[in-house]
Amino acid sequence: METDRELLAALKCGDNDAWEEAFRRLYPCAFAAARHPSASLTPAEAEDIAVEALTLLLPKVKEVDEFDELRLLVITIASRKAISEKRRQLADKRGGGDVTSLDALQDDENIRFEPAEQTTSRLSVTDLKDLSKLLDAALSGLEPRNADLLRDFLVHHLSYKELGEKYKMPVGSVGVNLTRSLEKIRSQLKAAPKLWKELVSFLR
Amino acid sequence: MDADSFNDLALRVIAGEATAADREALKTELSAHPERRDEFEQMKVVYDVLRTTAPMTEASRATGPELPVYRVGELRTAVRQHFGPAAVRQKSSGWTNVLRWILAGGGATALTVFVVVLNLSGRTIEVGMYQSDAMRNGEATLAAQDIPSAKMITFDQDAPFDQWQNQPLAWYERAKIWVDNEHDLFHIVRRVDHGNIHVETQPLAPTDEGQREQIKQAVESLKN
Repeated sequence: METDRELLAALKCGDNDAWEEAFRRLYPCAFAAARHPSASLTPAEAEDIAVEALTLLLPKVKEVDEFDELRLLVITIASRKAISEKRRQLADKRGGGDVTSLDALQDDENIRFEPAEQTTSRLSVTDLKDLSKLLDAALSGLEPRNADLLRDFLVHHLSYKELGEKYKMPVGSVGVNLTRSLEKIRSQLKAAPKLWKELVSFLR
Repeated sequence: MDADSFNDLALRVIAGEATAADREALKTELSAHPERRDEFEQMKVVYDVLRTTAPMTEASRATGPELPVYRVGELRTAVRQHFGPAAVRQKSSGWTNVLRWILAGGGATALTVFVVVLNLSGRTIEVGMYQSDAMRNGEATLAAQDIPSAKMITFDQDAPFDQWQNQPLAWYERAKIWVDNEHDLFHIVRRVDHGNIHVETQPLAPTDEGQREQIKQAVESLKN
């Protein structure tokens, strides 16, 4: 299959070789998505989630117009499943009597997982594509050091303390830099009212 | 409080980096300036969305690790279960080749053979299942006499069962049926009009008795 279009056509016909090729191409993205920092799964757990996410593409392939949509689709599925899996693990642990303050832990879980679960369950492939473009544009408009700082905060979920150590700056300066960078993104997001409105509705 | 200080304080609270004093300060600020509540909510949306989606956009650029070789088999199985056996999907090209051969000059002899084969074809219905599913606790869940018009084939291992499922229907076969207890599915591959092949997947009945009835009914309907 020379082009993505040919590959997608073969996938829709259920061609075994085409699916193997697609699985090989998409696995790294699925695995990376399954290692979403909000879920913090082990590599073995992430592998299971990634493989499951790949199999869930099978019934979806008919609805897709371009091969790249499958990439975004598998990322959305794997991230959602990883976050749900983590939440389930914590609930099981709680069910095992491993806690002293049930309410406090439940509150903590809601705060930690709900925004991510709501966002991943409602985010469309188009939304993710738009957000990706917007984020790339916003990061490229920042000073490289500030862009790296923000990327580590958003992508790798490093804490202020970890960022301060990595970038050799006081924690107070970390906060100020992050706030200014996020403000720029917020103003860009608000300049895309349709996307902004959708994102706000996800979290209501 | 100026805008920068407010945003800094708000982000610290949202990101879980705030002290008790910070949280109190934010509460006081929001009480004194309710108009800032909207600003705070917007920042929370930006934070929640980006902390969720930024790792996802980064994942789209991932180039490793490679798909582990030992996971390929289960993905192949998923493809087969979704689309049906590979041989069935590729069947039309096989018939096209046969037709080409006949038209290219196989002539009357080939046509005669074809007619004879056609008269004998499409007789057998095969039912495949694991031996462990056919016999539970020493009792047969399904016996050959339950389905006298079909041929029951049992398997002890995955590989031969997979191979049997993937084989195209032979000229003498009308259909094949198999039970997939792992995924609770019931598969029927049958010959329909003009030699076309139809693949059907149904949910598997939940009980042994229900499954036996499901198989018997499928065999009966295929026999007619």
